[in-house]
Amino acid sequence: MRVTWDIFCTVVDNFGDIGVTWRLARQLVAEHQCAVRLWVDDLRAFERLCPAIQVDAARQWQQGVEVCRWQGEWQPTASADVVIAAFACQLPDAYLEAMAAREQAPLWLNLDYLSAEDWVVGCHGLPSLKHKNVQKYFFFPGFQAGTGGLLREGGLLLQREAFQADAAARSVFLASLGVVPAPDARLVSLFAYENTGLASWLDAMATGGTPTHLLVPEGRVLADVLRWLDLEQMTPGMVQVRGALTLQVLPFVPQDDYDRLLWSCDFNAVRGEDSFVRAQWAARPMLWHIYRQEDDIHLDKLEAFLHLYTAGLSPDARLALQGLWRAWNVGGEMAGHWREAERHWQEWFEHAERWCLEQASRPDLAAALVQFYRNWL
Amino acid sequence: MKTGKELKPGTVIRIDNDPWLVQKAEFTKSGRNSAIMKTKLKNLLTGYKTETVYSADDKLDDVILDRKEATLSFISGDTYTFMDTTDYTMYELNAEDIESVLPFVEEGMTDVCEAVFFEDRLVSVELPTTIVRQVDYTEGSARGDTSGKVMKPAKLKNGTELSVADFIEIGDMIEIDTREGGSYKGRAK
Repeated sequence: MRVTWDIFCTVVDNFGDIGVTWRLARQLVAEHQCAVRLWVDDLRAFERLCPAIQVDAARQWQQGVEVCRWQGEWQPTASADVVIAAFACQLPDAYLEAMAAREQAPLWLNLDYLSAEDWVVGCHGLPSLKHKNVQKYFFFPGFQAGTGGLLREGGLLLQREAFQADAAARSVFLASLGVVPAPDARLVSLFAYENTGLASWLDAMATGGTPTHLLVPEGRVLADVLRWLDLEQMTPGMVQVRGALTLQVLPFVPQDDYDRLLWSCDFNAVRGEDSFVRAQWAARPMLWHIYRQEDDIHLDKLEAFLHLYTAGLSPDARLALQGLWRAWNVGGEMAGHWREAERHWQEWFEHAERWCLEQASRPDLAAALVQFYRNWL
Repeated sequence: MKTGKELKPGTVIRIDNDPWLVQKAEFTKSGRNSAIMKTKLKNLLTGYKTETVYSADDKLDDVILDRKEATLSFISGDTYTFMDTTDYTMYELNAEDIESVLPFVEEGMTDVCEAVFFEDRLVSVELPTTIVRQVDYTEGSARGDTSGKVMKPAKLKNGTELSVADFIEIGDMIEIDTREGGSYKGRAK
């Protein structure tokens, strides 16, 4: 009998929640032979990541995952063996009762957001509330031993290495997106929230000595790009040139293509959680735009990651990276930090590869969840 | 009912009909993660201990406890003996039962504490919000700062370390806010 999993996801306001749960669901099916239902409250957001999604279907199969629309009145449904409430979403009351009604209680997990903060290690895997006979546990992804690890599909790094070693494959992929960079151009991807620091970064790239081809997948930062260009609109495929900077808007691509985009670029600006992790597996220098929170509490999370991530860098390269990331995350002046970053390019590049291998030496999140279930049994 | 965020050392909650004493509670809120309270719990019937994590808005059954005023009588090893100030009854607690306030418990202290009872059994002790302690050791003032904004480390008689204002000297009496782990409040008047 295949172990059954129900993953519940409420899409808050971005693609991170559905991005993580969709990736996890696919991996549990493909690599751990689990039967997975993914309950999603916003199939339109999901459609951007998985264009095959039928937004009106109550139930459908996508890549081996049973995708269920989680809207309106809850219909009686038997509980799975493992139940994941992603990012502390609230399960339907009737489903909680269904969990309690099982002869053997299911494993109930709250899969939380990713954080590099130390407290995560002390809280990962601990029990929490009970609903009747069903015990909930907190499960934290993370970068350190003692956490749930990061989502990483089997063979991902081999695929990435093969792709990055194959210039023709890169060219064919980029051409499929309509991207034909100049031979000497540095390729940069930009996926971010609105950011007042963007204009100064674009200024720096436009006036810099290295030709840069900036790829901007459709998203929230595009409005800032248009403002800098003094344009009303850019549709996917359109290209604009300002000095040494070529800007090109890309369509929002499915997850697998986004991976290849990250692998193709020399530098990736990413945001939130899912693209942030994927940029690390791309093993290229990167810049993280963290999800902003009230009272700037997200900055503690940023600093915790910077502390871990920059540990292996030389003091100068570390300061440069910290300066760039901090400026980006407060919407500050970027030009000086970018010029400083360019001085450490090679070290950042080598460091990104080392960091990737270090993280890949730990069990991935899906494997950790499956192991947690086996131990719990 | 208590929410996860309201849990604090000395609270007793009911899980599966058993009373569990909160011995330690650490609140965390960061980024988009759930606001959580990590707790160290002790089963008052079996003595079994465990750690748990609750979301800040989780609802938990709390147990109504009796509270009485008590003072510390003496310390013997890891055993702390408190006396009911009204009927002079003596009660003993282990160090781990008062882990959260232990840094500010010292021989000879005269603070009137709140003793927490579950079914006539002393399970915990809470200190007043503000206590006064003597600084046993600190370095001299490095910068001559009198504003109270520059801080330096200091040690109390029982070895507890905390940050105090730069102008505080050895032997000074200081006020300490005992909430959330304890912090320097000012020089005692």
